[in-house]
Amino acid sequence: MFKNYIISAIRNITKSPFYAFLNIAGLTIGMATFIFILIYVADEISYDKHNTNYSRIHRLESDFTIGSKHDKFAIVPIPMGPALQLEFPEIESIVRFRGIDNTLIIYNDKEYYEDNFYYTDSTIFDVFSCELLVGDLKNSLVEPNTAVLTQKIASKYFGKENAIGKVISTGSGRQYKVTAVIQNQPENSHLKYDALLSASTLAKEVGEEEFNSMEPNRFWNIGVYTYVMINKNSSIQSIHDKFPDFYDKYMKSLGDQFNASFELMTTPLSEIHLNSDLASDLPTGNKAYVYIFSIVAIFILLLAAINYMNMATAQSSNRSREVGMRKVMGAEKQQLIGQFLSESVLLAIIANLLALLVVYMFLPDFNGLTGKALSYSLILEPEFLGLIFAVSVFIGLVSGSYPSFYLSSFMPLNVLKGITTSSGKPNLLLRRGLVVIQFFIAIVMIIGTFVVSDQIDYLKSKDLGFEKENLIVMELQDSAFRSKVEVFKEALLQNPTIENVSNSTGVPGDVSWIQVMLVEQESEMKEFAIILAQCDYDFPSLLGLNFITGRDFDKKMGTDDTAAVIINETAARQFGWIDNPIGKKILYGMELDRSGGRSMKVIGMVEDFHFNSLHNKVEPIILFISQVPRFFVTARIKDGKKATALEHIEKCWHETGADRPFNYTMITELQEEMYEGEEKISTIFLIISVLTVFIALLGLFGLSSFTAEQRTKEIGIRKVNGATLFDILILLYKEFFWLILISFVLAVPIAYWRLSIWLETSFMYHTEIHWLSIMLAGISAMVIGLLTISFHVVKVASSDPVEAIKYE
Amino acid sequence: MIQTNELTRIFRAEEVETTALNKVNINIEQGEFVAIMGPSGCGKSTLLNILGLLDTPTNGVFNFFNENVAGYSERQRARLRKKNIGFVFQNFNLIDQFTVFENVELPLIYLGLSAKERKTRVEAALEKMQMTHRRKHYPSQLSGGQQQRVAIARAVVSDPKFILADEPTGNLDSAHGDEVMNLLGELNQAGTTIIMVTHSQRDAEYAQRVIMLFDGQVISEKLSSEKSN
Repeated sequence: MFKNYIISAIRNITKSPFYAFLNIAGLTIGMATFIFILIYVADEISYDKHNTNYSRIHRLESDFTIGSKHDKFAIVPIPMGPALQLEFPEIESIVRFRGIDNTLIIYNDKEYYEDNFYYTDSTIFDVFSCELLVGDLKNSLVEPNTAVLTQKIASKYFGKENAIGKVISTGSGRQYKVTAVIQNQPENSHLKYDALLSASTLAKEVGEEEFNSMEPNRFWNIGVYTYVMINKNSSIQSIHDKFPDFYDKYMKSLGDQFNASFELMTTPLSEIHLNSDLASDLPTGNKAYVYIFSIVAIFILLLAAINYMNMATAQSSNRSREVGMRKVMGAEKQQLIGQFLSESVLLAIIANLLALLVVYMFLPDFNGLTGKALSYSLILEPEFLGLIFAVSVFIGLVSGSYPSFYLSSFMPLNVLKGITTSSGKPNLLLRRGLVVIQFFIAIVMIIGTFVVSDQIDYLKSKDLGFEKENLIVMELQDSAFRSKVEVFKEALLQNPTIENVSNSTGVPGDVSWIQVMLVEQESEMKEFAIILAQCDYDFPSLLGLNFITGRDFDKKMGTDDTAAVIINETAARQFGWIDNPIGKKILYGMELDRSGGRSMKVIGMVEDFHFNSLHNKVEPIILFISQVPRFFVTARIKDGKKATALEHIEKCWHETGADRPFNYTMITELQEEMYEGEEKISTIFLIISVLTVFIALLGLFGLSSFTAEQRTKEIGIRKVNGATLFDILILLYKEFFWLILISFVLAVPIAYWRLSIWLETSFMYHTEIHWLSIMLAGISAMVIGLLTISFHVVKVASSDPVEAIKYE
Repeated sequence: MIQTNELTRIFRAEEVETTALNKVNINIEQGEFVAIMGPSGCGKSTLLNILGLLDTPTNGVFNFFNENVAGYSERQRARLRKKNIGFVFQNFNLIDQFTVFENVELPLIYLGLSAKERKTRVEAALEKMQMTHRRKHYPSQLSGGQQQRVAIARAVVSDPKFILADEPTGNLDSAHGDEVMNLLGELNQAGTTIIMVTHSQRDAEYAQRVIMLFDGQVISEKLSSEKSN
């Protein structure tokens, strides 16, 4: 019996290969997209779960309130972990990490610049799971000046030699003996270290006592990533419950002095990747995208299933005689349903196999697009394959459900006489509904694509309040070179391609210094945590900041180097000075008892400029003259002279005595990096839209072939009675015009609503949803939709009426 | 074998009621060859469909081998149908995408016979219809007469108690038509009961008895030989 079903299925495929192709193509695209999204989501939610004890590990996080400013950090003060462990028996173990970026490591006279090296406690291996390759984990990282390397770093430095006992040194002269080599960190770890250096090294340098001090002032400095592992039978909640007492004991005395408070926050290890939006955090994922893509995956599958339904029922007239004869011969309805369901399941499984092939072919592109390093072996895991096959069977059943009930309910009497339209009307309604759903989804996706791309254009073209073009940023890593910054600046300015140069602690896109200062209020000075940049006299003019009131730094004024400060509009507003900021006082760098510090007066207020990404609101920032050379040198080069300028800069770089290779970034590149995530999303959106539209078109194609066939006779009669070709075309297009219009009318509010939420929650500064984009989405859906049906419409409209009438 | 008592079939459209069969009483014995005749719309196809268990009467008794099947569900009818009845249609109703062999095999599949048994039976039926050489062909590759021979092979392959033929020569020229009628005649000679709906006087002459229908009622029943005299 089953063999007969298969024969029937295969013969039907070979009889109308074009339909079969469209059908399988739709399912394949749907399944492949689904698999891609599935592995993406599976990877996103798998973060850090490779740690055996992940359910017991939590990261400690800070919520500082200083004055009126609320700041949340992914790091906590250095003694927080040890002090908590001391007070709370629930904590089994703690481990801290302190990253060192762009570090020079020297081995055997070779120099390496490393980003992901961390100082850490020797307890790391109690908390996190690592696979030891050589050496001894138990005693690793206990002694000062020891290091544990990952396989990647060990083979980079030592090749195939045994790494144990080798000594590496940093640029600053610290030496580390390798005590163990471990397997590389899995890609799905939120904290990806390449090497670990013993924290005891730092303790030795600053002195054990100082390093391990739990004095109150040590709790009011932000410091390190800290993870706690709680006992099997404890809960993290009990630590939160008891934290107020801890706060009173360790932190309150000092906090009260400067009007500050602290809340401890924690995040379970496995949730960090998708749930963190804290300052100082490592790169994390985006939960919104996981949700969006999961929904899209289901949509795509639904589209593909609907498509199948449409195509299969559209072809029902080809099958009606078979159904009729089978019934006459005693086939029961259930048997026929079974037959058509096994057919659709079979097709879904074929599509699934093709989809796996498609995924295999496009996995590298997908990895490039998402920045992941997913391997095909993930898909070949038995659970994964099982799930994918279960889904394909399910999709087969869903897609086959309607066609099989429809086909199996044909009255044998009618079909054997060639009457198939007896129950055509309600079915047509349903099928139209399916096409409306498909176009609804497709139009939502098209609008989404337009809005995402509008937003990216907006981000890129928004006036940032400073002139971002032609700015080159260099980092002065070593202090010897840094001390010669004035010489370097002078040398740079010798060439006419260099218009301006400035030295500062931060540049737009990379400003992160926050400090508590005393700010003049009505009757007294009050604490505010303020973002600051220390710079030289040229910085405001280099950036092209716009002064609203007051003046720029001026060497001639004599006191500007110590006593002048420039603020932005938001700072003035927040401090209550917006009407008259000039002359107001800010005290920077005071002791905890408010003594000492550098007293400065506001000399100018500039328009807000975006020194961070447009995801964030502009915050108060102040600029003042630095007493010492600083990390960044920024040069403005003449428009169109980049190559000449760079050549000159590199020459000066080496002549002034930099010991590191010349390296630079354009500010515009920094800006673009900030929106890389959105760029990726935009591309993914575009691809998915194209796919949904394609699948929707397949569905429409199926429906149009069905209605064309159904109406052949009607059209023949109309023609005999004098209808022109034009009349018939209008008649046929009108129906589909309405369907797409209905989809559009349904899609607009949903898309508008959903995208507004996305824009408002993800971006502090965002574009409006343009009606033009929406109209464009509607019109493009309409045009390609009507083009798609033209194949059948023109065919049936131009058919010979005599043929049509004797159709039955 | 088949006996109806006041068999009535009414079709209801939204506001129109059509009485297709009005209190029809017929009785058909095993081994008979009966033709049902009458003008278009007289109800003969409706009667055939009910006799073939494809349709149910609105009222009346339908004894099928001494069992009143008038109220049977579709499933019950399907089960009786596949064991007992073979069908031959005017437009052959062969399945285009199946070969001759597969078309003839189809009823046996629903009877649940083994592949080997099916092969033997299909070969025998094709042999009888002299279509063995065409077993791998598709219906579109055959002439009308050949298609109807395949259809008859399909009707007899399950060894049914009787065959229902609905205008079996309607789509054929006279030579092919005669050929088909001769085959049916031979089957009847060999013991198969045949009930045939026809417009054609010529075909009706193959039957032993002719039932005339008019406006849903039996108006006469004659032995075929009487009529031709």
